[in-house]
Amino acid sequence: MPDSTTLLVWLLKAGLIYGGMLGVAAGMTLAERKVSAWIQWRIGPNRVGPFGTLQPIADGIKFFFKEEVVPRDANPVLFRLAPMLAAVPAMLTVAVIPFAGDISIAGVQTTLSIADIDMSALYVVAIGGLGVYGVILGGWSSNSKYSLLGGLRASAQMVSYELSMILAILSIVVMSGSLDLREIVAGQAGAIWQWNIWSQPLAFVLFLVATFAETNRHPFDFAECEPELVGGFHTEYSSMKFALFFLGEYCAMFVMASLTTTFFLGGSEVPFWADAPWFVQLGAFAAKTSLFLFLFLLVRWTLPRFRFDQLMAIGWKVMLPLALANVFLTGALASLGVYGS
Amino acid sequence: MTKITINGREVEADPKRPLIAACHEHAEELVPMYCYHPGLTPVGSCRICQVEVKMGEMPPRVVVACRTPVSEGMVVNTEAPGAHDARRQCLEFLLKNHPLDCPICDKAGECDLQDYSFSEGQGEGRSVEPRRKLEKRKSLGDTILLDQERCILCSRCVRFYEDVAKQPQLTVAGLGSRSVISTFADRPLHGNYQGNIADICPVGALTLKKFRFQARVWNLDKHPSTCGECSRGCSISIEVLRRREVKRVRPRYDKDKNKWWMCDHGRFAFDRFNADDRLVGGFLRGAQGLEPKSLERVFDDLAENLRRKGEHVLLVSPWLTVEEGELVRDLAQATGATTRFVSPAADTDLRDDFLHTGDPCPNRRGLTELGFEAVEAADVSTMLAGATCVVLVGESVGELVTPEALAALPRSIRLFLLDTRAYAAPALRGALGVPDASERTGTWINVDGHPGRLAIAKAAPDGVPPLERSLRAVQERLDAGAEVRA
Amino acid sequence: MVIVKRKELSLMERLFLPEIVRALSHSFRAIFQPKITRQYPEEGLPTNEVTRGQPRLTLLEDNETLACVSCGLCEVACPAYAITIDGQETDRFIEREPERFEIDMLRCILCGFCEEACPKDAIFMSDELELADFTRAALVYDIDKLKRPKAALQKRIDYFYKVNDRWRKSSSTS
Repeated sequence: MPDSTTLLVWLLKAGLIYGGMLGVAAGMTLAERKVSAWIQWRIGPNRVGPFGTLQPIADGIKFFFKEEVVPRDANPVLFRLAPMLAAVPAMLTVAVIPFAGDISIAGVQTTLSIADIDMSALYVVAIGGLGVYGVILGGWSSNSKYSLLGGLRASAQMVSYELSMILAILSIVVMSGSLDLREIVAGQAGAIWQWNIWSQPLAFVLFLVATFAETNRHPFDFAECEPELVGGFHTEYSSMKFALFFLGEYCAMFVMASLTTTFFLGGSEVPFWADAPWFVQLGAFAAKTSLFLFLFLLVRWTLPRFRFDQLMAIGWKVMLPLALANVFLTGALASLGVYGS
Repeated sequence: MTKITINGREVEADPKRPLIAACHEHAEELVPMYCYHPGLTPVGSCRICQVEVKMGEMPPRVVVACRTPVSEGMVVNTEAPGAHDARRQCLEFLLKNHPLDCPICDKAGECDLQDYSFSEGQGEGRSVEPRRKLEKRKSLGDTILLDQERCILCSRCVRFYEDVAKQPQLTVAGLGSRSVISTFADRPLHGNYQGNIADICPVGALTLKKFRFQARVWNLDKHPSTCGECSRGCSISIEVLRRREVKRVRPRYDKDKNKWWMCDHGRFAFDRFNADDRLVGGFLRGAQGLEPKSLERVFDDLAENLRRKGEHVLLVSPWLTVEEGELVRDLAQATGATTRFVSPAADTDLRDDFLHTGDPCPNRRGLTELGFEAVEAADVSTMLAGATCVVLVGESVGELVTPEALAALPRSIRLFLLDTRAYAAPALRGALGVPDASERTGTWINVDGHPGRLAIAKAAPDGVPPLERSLRAVQERLDAGAEVRA
Repeated sequence: MVIVKRKELSLMERLFLPEIVRALSHSFRAIFQPKITRQYPEEGLPTNEVTRGQPRLTLLEDNETLACVSCGLCEVACPAYAITIDGQETDRFIEREPERFEIDMLRCILCGFCEEACPKDAIFMSDELELADFTRAALVYDIDKLKRPKAALQKRIDYFYKVNDRWRKSSSTS
């Protein structure tokens, strides 16, 4: 049983990290609109606060004041549960992400992540798999054909791409010989060419593509797909429940970007500065993550949506074989001792 | 009948009428006319009705259709190039001095000069001379305003007074380009038929003072109806602006009654259609005097009072239509009430041997045939003495009986007023708005037995039901009560 | 019948990724392009004499009397039935003037037919475009709201004459 100071420090960490993540999610809603505006030669929101920075708060207030509608024939329990199920897994995953290395708070020596568990990669995969429930249940419980189709698509899509994603993670795990994210990060310490992106380029590409599918982002946003399904799984949702779905989506984006950083870009490691202080490490992590978050936005406002059969074909006929081959190759190389010890 | 050929078709023409009448009857294309009017003697002064006529072996000639008698074997071509050319040249001369003030002219839109210039004219004038300057606002009495510049000297107005009204008052004074229409010695026009010269004026030279700048004629909805000012029942057209306001009443051709004409008395009587002190909705006497009540309640109360024993009188307006009269008669039979129609005093000084009959009761014949007996307005009070329930039915009946007579009725009489206007009377128990003659359909029978239809020219104010519906509603309640008792 | 052959994709194109990178770089470069957004309430709309804004009535040189003689031609020309005119008599040489001239701006479609129909150069399309109020009745403009000095509309009047020059020449108003 840890003493009270340690407990307080943990609570502080948890509060900071969750608060930070929600802040990033809110900021992403603004960034999404800003970047889309810039790409289209527009200015974007600039009325609320300086350069529109208070826009997310205004949006949040607006969501709270919107009328809450529950369809008459919807399943009342699941309909209310689904938004929570969509938001919570993404928040749970963030618990194991190592944002920075060792840190000393109020005399307590700890690390800048909420939980240090030695199978964190497995935990990430396990919890990440839950994310689909929110979408499926939301789609099904709405009792609307559009929502149902959106939910069905989301489930098929997530199952298909989770496979490739896990196999991509597997090759990293095989290479670094640990399921602990902190170990995986530590394995990429030192020079910039120590990052896994150079030793596992194929896994990186597969993982990146799978993250887009996992977060239901363009060009794989078949769960919403406005031209075909009105609003997809959240057609019947309004007010804060609707906002929770979006919060979940943006949190998932943040988590996926963090994981990509952790697995492939050396996480919080600063190149050529092994014992950098924690805030430099956090800064490095933030910079790398922002890169991927920006990529999410850039892709959304560049690429058109795939067709659903194309999505499935890519998932099962291209990505899965490639991922399998990659795992075999990595395994073979590992058994030959290429990756050391 | 004489056989002639008009535009390639062999037709039979009336030899007693000029060629232009046959052309209007049989040719598809209208032969233009300014000075010619079917109700007036043709003079052939405007020359606009020129058509090409070929007789026998002679080469075709362009002649004035209104002054050419019909003769056997004529071959008429109204659309010949020569005829068109002659008419175009006529128009150019007429337009030489005609001012271009169509934008402010009340005739614009129903102006023959405009119409024919558009269909036959050449579109631009070649004259470089200034137009003649004459008096633009010359008053010819209380009714008519003359714009001498616009006048094309067709002399229709002069001939109207000579041929139709039989009392010459106008003439063409002056010579050449200084000719103007004028009354003798500049005396104002008199008589009851002045408005007709504004109707027949083919341009905007003679206009009605009352209609001056009141509306653009193309904005007026024209509804065929019947005049209710005397028992002649002239066919009229009620012209309504924006479905609300009656702006003008004009005669409508009716070969049995008024031909093309009507009297000024009927023409300018439309102000009562625009009155805004109308009785709207239903009222019943309550604790605070007359209180607004739903129509149903008024019908109930009226039926209830008629059902009681006593001496009932249904006094109807002389403007009641035959259809409404039948319903009142049925009501009287069901209740044993006496029915009379109020006969207004005769306008003896308006009576003439042309149109006005002097009897301001348009449906006297119809009501009499229905079995109604007349009662002089002055005798109403004595007739009503001793009655228990009196119902005054129809437009303006209260006005005929006079408000004073109504107010003087004893409280023992239960008085119901179904009228267009409300009157204060202690005996008044209930009141209900009814539509006026411009707001309902129906039939009046005129003094000679010709029916005249009324048409809805404008909507009745909100809350004023058709009188026929109100009468039927009362009748239904009486019938239902009778069944219950049986 | 036209048979459209699907384009054979090269290997690089079939890999998708290089093409996607090309597309992403295109949209990334677009971020640094100059912005074309107009900040509307602060930055007004650009107007010139060709702008067909709300119709306005011109005043004569004395800046008091309307050029309008209430002939009703704009009322007739108006396809949206937005104009209502009642005339009355005046003592001026032109005997008629509007007693009531109302344009229901909620119905007006800014088509400019009234301008073309007017024989007296009394109504022109101004460059006033903004239209908002709290009640419907306030948007039925009467003479007081519609009248403008001729100078304010001069640019449009000149342009109108330039455009309709040929038509005007062939049918002069008296």
